[in-house]
Amino acid sequence: MHEFWSAAIIGVSLGAQYALLALGFTLIFGILGVINFAHGGFYALGGYVAYSAVSGLGLPYPLAVLAAVLVTAALGYVYELFVIERFVDDHLATMMLTLGLYLMISTGLLAVFGPQSPEFSFPVKGSYSIGALRIAKENLVVLAVCGCAIGAIYWLIYRTDLGRALRALADDRQVATTQGMRPRLLFPLAFGLATGLAGLTGALVTPILALSPSAGDPVLVTSFLTVILGGLGSIAGATIAALIVGFIEAYASVYLGGSAGALVLFIMVLVILLARPTGLFGRQIRGA
Amino acid sequence: MAPESPAPRSSALAPSGASRPGGQEWAALAIFTAALALPFLTEDMLVSSIANQVLIGVMASLSVFIMLRMDLLSFATPAFMAIGGYTAVLLAMQGATNVLLLVAASFVVPALVAMPLGALVLRLRGTYFVLVTFVLTEILHLLLFMTPGLTGGSDGLAGFPAPTLFTMELADSRSVLVLAAAMALLGAIITVALISLCRQHFAAIEENEALAESLGLVVWRYKALGFVISAGIAGMAGFSLANMLLTVHPTSFGVQQAVDHLAFTVIGGRGSILGPVIGASTLVTASNFLGNQGQYAQGLFGLLLVIVALVARGGIVGAVAALFRRRRGR
Repeated sequence: MHEFWSAAIIGVSLGAQYALLALGFTLIFGILGVINFAHGGFYALGGYVAYSAVSGLGLPYPLAVLAAVLVTAALGYVYELFVIERFVDDHLATMMLTLGLYLMISTGLLAVFGPQSPEFSFPVKGSYSIGALRIAKENLVVLAVCGCAIGAIYWLIYRTDLGRALRALADDRQVATTQGMRPRLLFPLAFGLATGLAGLTGALVTPILALSPSAGDPVLVTSFLTVILGGLGSIAGATIAALIVGFIEAYASVYLGGSAGALVLFIMVLVILLARPTGLFGRQIRGA
Repeated sequence: MAPESPAPRSSALAPSGASRPGGQEWAALAIFTAALALPFLTEDMLVSSIANQVLIGVMASLSVFIMLRMDLLSFATPAFMAIGGYTAVLLAMQGATNVLLLVAASFVVPALVAMPLGALVLRLRGTYFVLVTFVLTEILHLLLFMTPGLTGGSDGLAGFPAPTLFTMELADSRSVLVLAAAMALLGAIITVALISLCRQHFAAIEENEALAESLGLVVWRYKALGFVISAGIAGMAGFSLANMLLTVHPTSFGVQQAVDHLAFTVIGGRGSILGPVIGASTLVTASNFLGNQGQYAQGLFGLLLVIVALVARGGIVGAVAALFRRRRGR
């Protein structure tokens, strides 16, 4: 029975990480209509910035995480402002631009840090045990930080003027613009916010999993799966779908083994794309 | 709407929207024909290895190029390459080594798979089509790992007999290159025929699909035709790859390869058939000289993708053509 519960804890913890990634991804799609192929790149970059801050500058880990968020958010902001902004309505061009950025980030990391995974471990060690059940402390820390970040995003999007403006742009850009929202100001902000979330997740999670220049590949795939499942552009959908994906991965790895869980997810997503492209919880936001 | 209304004339696969191949298309065919001579001009291992990779890359890019004619960005090329490659290898292992049969099977089987698949996925457009083809490639990639009985799983399949032409065994490196060049020429002929025959139709779909449909074009027919032929050409590329590597392995058919083929096509220029040809030739050659196993090539592809998207929408071919036009205008 404790196998079941430990899988549940892993599932929640994975789900919270995926939610942070998927929220960023879905914000960019919902507000700008852009598929961000570079999302995994910002995750890997966040991990490497945190690693360099800890091992190079000797910063304490929480400050290193903050540095990772700032660097990835700034890069996302600048890239949107100077590069993506001019082509924001051309889906082919924005895909090339984000895909190109991803390839450059991962090659840049490879050139600077080399192909080996650096020694980067989580500062909190040990585990709590309840009966036969053991809960790693690092998982709890990640879960808590992710939970706070998710709460902060919801607050930002649903309780502040900035959030209202962003939601208005996502709903109908033309009407929102005539009402005085300024896409040129808000699009880079939204993009930077989203890439900062990817950087945060990278800085939190790569010390537990693994850090490598190609660490972003599986992240991109997971973000795709999650946002399609939840409905492209839907914030609540992304959060719920992230938990579903986390649980399926955790339970499949315990009870099915191998890549069966991934296959189940992919086939679910394929069926959803074909039968209900707006996702489980989505609504029609943008014409496909 | 009357269900029995006769289909408008322009909807038939008739010459109404067809045109003769243009100068760039003849030039592409000439390049492929010339490539057939290459194996007899050089014995150099490096040159023939790069030539092999270029020819395979060109074929895969032609498959991407056909889909881009209809404004559809496909990540499914590696999936169809895998189907073609594994089909040919499995046939050869059963003793059916006739090269004509293998080439035909590597085209026909992926094309047949693409028919029902196309009925499902071609309803999607834009971003959703990109995502669904991405997912298809991931699924096939996983399935290859999970069916060791048929595909050898993570070991792949190796040690299959060389293809034969009547009684001649096509095992030496020269015959491998000749076969690759012949398949690339065949792929180019099919592509030129398709895009000449459907030039106006594809252009109408690319420009405005809803408008084309409302004017009486049976859009799904052309999209299905393009998808099926694109799958077949990718399948031949898969066979060519297996024949060069002497093995088929799941790692050759992932999303990473889809990104490469996309880069070849878009950087070369998506507006003309010369684009994928020139894109694949230059980028494959460049990646052979960038770091060991071309690990830095990805960064170059990324940089070029960004530059093309920012300043040269027509890619290399488009930029050169614009330069010529400006010269002539002066």
